[in-house]
Amino acid sequence: MAAPTFSTRNHVAPGALGRLSRNPSAPWRHIDVVLVACVAAVSVLGCLMVFSSTRGSSPDSFDTGFVAKQALFVAIGAGVMLVVALVDYRRYRELAPAAFIMVLLLLLLVVSGLGSERKGTQAWFQLGPFQLQPSELAKIVVIITLAAVMAQFNNELDVRRLALVLGLAGLPMGLIMLQPDLGTTLVFVAIAMGMLLIGGARGRHIAALTLVGIVGVGFILNSGMLEEYQKCRFTSFLETESKACQDRGSSYNQDQAKVAIGSGGLLGAGLGQGTQTRLGIVPEQHTDFIFTALGEELGFVGAGTLLALLGIIAWRIWRTAQLARDPLGTLICVGVLSMFVFQVFENVGMTMGIMPVTGIPLPFMSYGGSSTLTAFIAMGLVMNVHMRRFS
Amino acid sequence: MNAESPGMRLSVLGIVVVALFASLFARLWYLQVMVTDEFRVEAQANRVRVVPVEAPRGRILDVNGKVLVDNVISVQVTIDRSILDGLDKEARTEVLTKLAEGLSRSSKAKTVGDLEKDLANERYSPYVPVPVASNVPEELKIWIDEHAEEMSGVAAERVAVRSYPFGSLAAHVLGYTGQINDAEYELVAESDKPYTLNDEIGKSGVELQYEPYLRGTPGSREIEVDATNQPIRDIGGDPPIPGDDLILNIDIDVQAQAEQALKTGLTLAQGRGCQGCQGPVVAQVGSAVVLDPRSGAVVAMASYPTYKPADFIDGVSDSEFAYLDDPANFAPQNNRAIQGQYPPGSTFKPFTASAALSAGILTPQTTIVDTGEFEVPGCSGDSCFFENDNRKAFGSVDLRRSLTVSSDVFYYGLGAQFWRDQDALGGPEKFRDLLERWGFYTDTGIDLPFEQSGRIPSPRWLAEFCTEIACADGADTWRTGNNVNMAVGQGDVLLTPLQIANAYAAIGNGGTVWTPHIVKEIRDGVSGEVTETIAPKELSRVELLPEWRAAILDGLNGVTTREGGTAVGAFSGFPSGTFAVAAKTGTAQVGSAKAPHAVFGSFAPASNPLFAISVLLEEAGYGGSTAAPVARRLYDVLSGTIPLPPAPAGGTLEELLSLAPEAGDVRD
Repeated sequence: MAAPTFSTRNHVAPGALGRLSRNPSAPWRHIDVVLVACVAAVSVLGCLMVFSSTRGSSPDSFDTGFVAKQALFVAIGAGVMLVVALVDYRRYRELAPAAFIMVLLLLLLVVSGLGSERKGTQAWFQLGPFQLQPSELAKIVVIITLAAVMAQFNNELDVRRLALVLGLAGLPMGLIMLQPDLGTTLVFVAIAMGMLLIGGARGRHIAALTLVGIVGVGFILNSGMLEEYQKCRFTSFLETESKACQDRGSSYNQDQAKVAIGSGGLLGAGLGQGTQTRLGIVPEQHTDFIFTALGEELGFVGAGTLLALLGIIAWRIWRTAQLARDPLGTLICVGVLSMFVFQVFENVGMTMGIMPVTGIPLPFMSYGGSSTLTAFIAMGLVMNVHMRRFS
Repeated sequence: MNAESPGMRLSVLGIVVVALFASLFARLWYLQVMVTDEFRVEAQANRVRVVPVEAPRGRILDVNGKVLVDNVISVQVTIDRSILDGLDKEARTEVLTKLAEGLSRSSKAKTVGDLEKDLANERYSPYVPVPVASNVPEELKIWIDEHAEEMSGVAAERVAVRSYPFGSLAAHVLGYTGQINDAEYELVAESDKPYTLNDEIGKSGVELQYEPYLRGTPGSREIEVDATNQPIRDIGGDPPIPGDDLILNIDIDVQAQAEQALKTGLTLAQGRGCQGCQGPVVAQVGSAVVLDPRSGAVVAMASYPTYKPADFIDGVSDSEFAYLDDPANFAPQNNRAIQGQYPPGSTFKPFTASAALSAGILTPQTTIVDTGEFEVPGCSGDSCFFENDNRKAFGSVDLRRSLTVSSDVFYYGLGAQFWRDQDALGGPEKFRDLLERWGFYTDTGIDLPFEQSGRIPSPRWLAEFCTEIACADGADTWRTGNNVNMAVGQGDVLLTPLQIANAYAAIGNGGTVWTPHIVKEIRDGVSGEVTETIAPKELSRVELLPEWRAAILDGLNGVTTREGGTAVGAFSGFPSGTFAVAAKTGTAQVGSAKAPHAVFGSFAPASNPLFAISVLLEEAGYGGSTAAPVARRLYDVLSGTIPLPPAPAGGTLEELLSLAPEAGDVRD
């Protein structure tokens, strides 16, 4: 390209920002600043709470091991988000089949015995000091794959096409259930349902699938698929748990989570002052139960602010879905929105005792490399769609 | 837009999202604003554990300030259940096996089963490590510290335990402590010094009697704990307040002499045997009491056989306890001075005399002719004839001589007269009433637990006794003979050695019967300030006119000094001119096939008594030849004739070769 061509919308070379700086429709001019600002704010809050919940039991202890790693994850995630945003999302369509097959292979490998086991779930590859959780990456790959497939259907989902979509979603879900990891599987259910709704699935199909989903969860809980402790904590929030579960003390985690949040009150105990947090009374607090640290130490003001920030992020994703220039963009955003909102609602709801306990991280808050990376990649996709809504 | 359009469907999705976030906000509001208070309480309870801190128990000191019971640091092995319970079965067994191996090297060997039993004991709070071995050698502590990594939860800690610098000396007076039992816990539930179920409590002696003073006020530690109940830091609490110190009237040096003389007296009695006794000499059990007649202060109180209070520090095993309580071993735990009830024999005569003087049937001038025999006037039946020991005739006998030579016939007459003239004298119970004033047939009120009250029989008592226990035909009716026997301290009369000493003290001081007391004063455990002084307390007062007292005193003085006195032999060579001992021997018959109890009651110096001493040796022979020498030895040291040696550290006493000049059998 020898000279600036203002009419050219579809072929912007990534990385050529300097040269395109005068182009009013250049993608970088349409970055969703609100989304980026909210993600940055939540990430900082997340690091703060990871530190609070891992610094040690004594008021004087100052263990920064976890927070340093989480800050690194956030930095890497932010970088990856930028990279993901810069490549036109339409090109991901071409990468989808290869990525889908690779993720399936990783999921197969992880359950085949190469993966590491923790608390009865085989979900990780141990790579030196880091852990890679293929099921997290699988979410992104499935979103792109489903979006790519459904975008071609032009809102016409007959039974055959529906079956194809369900098959594509079902393959990774099945492998994840073998780990077994009910929580992540349910994230896939949310992603699939959200995308089917927008992708044009018929009302009766959606109703039927909902029914199948409910029956399926019931079946899984009554089968030998899950570890006993997983079943117990999943059902304990109903407060009608079985005697066997009560003996295991399976409601302990959720009870203590509620105590932590509830004792925070309006203003919270203050950063570093929460005793439920400092003394490690809430298990898994720096990962799945990170919201309890926030609730206890910064109170309703802090936790409400976080919910507001997450709500704004959800709104920006939803808005991007609306603004997207093509169905592919819309479907990617809907997939990300479904994943994001389900994880937030399930995770925060579980810590407050209105949802069952499953191992789902809170995006940008929970400690963990794979989940943080996944959340940033997902936001990168949304930014990507937003940036290119005019191009 | 129709319902199927993507735009409409996106709106539906948006509404769902808004609804989900709204419900999260609502729930957050509920938890953090509406019900936050109850969660705050729970969060506080989660993090704070309040652990009681034992306060040091008060010390016990003798009258000169020598420490009799102290607290020392000893090494105790404990197991923290919260750690052990976190281990799997295999690791747990490994820890316990390793500990059992260590314990087997000390004298406190325990099996893994024993340890499991200790751990299962629900007395211990989950936050307090369970003690499994106490008073272990320092080497075991070093060994445990070295192997700490293999035995998680096991610790060797230094704790305060009772120590007894004088070993078994005064064991019965001091008593011992032990872990509180359920019944005791019930009793102290309202105490302002709260107990936990693994606290020590006084079990006998002064340790029991003065428990409310000796016990310190426990403090508390408020500990912040983490989720696994591991302590993080102390966040408050109250310091413990040590218990009060007790200062006793006991002089441990005199106590040592009393125990030594008592033990020697019994051994000598065994060697001597008893000519003319109705059974073999046993002489395994005895008691010696030294009182201050001016106040009732207990200077020494010995009971044999004895025990070591230190044996109770770890808690005694059932078999050890059975040994200490077994009559076959003469029940070493029993304090004979207050729990043993014996016929006083002839030591009772001064009290019979006092009753007769008060009743007006005797004067210091009354004289009878003692033929060695006595027939109850107007009596027919089996028990009409009584005689002196060995049917010895003393001839002309007045009150003085009756005591010095111990004429039974003189007192038989008085006993019979009390019955015969009962209408004029004030009824059938009058004799008993007069005798009881000496502090008999009642608790003296000494500050020691488990005191017995003895017995002065009477027609009313016999009637009650025989309704409870079927008496033999004819034995259920009170007759003159009962009074006759009673007059010489036989029949159904029972006194404790303490009552004997206390009554002799009252003769000495002119008729005041004190409540004897072991403790002199109570001092604050920290400042040492006296917080309470135990003032002398009158138990009763006996009518003892000066001329009556003079006559009795003269008779009793003769016992140790005058020709024919029953303890003259035992007191030969004693400086009676400067330290006159007023005394009476007794030889109490206790059945047809047993040797008599040897009894001795006394006070000195006779004119202004500083000490009253009673000695009683069970089934040991004659009072003058076996019991009197024990008292003689004590008067030797109390009068300064023999310098009073300090009580040996550790309380190990060597038996003496002799107590007093050998006087042969002296009958009374």
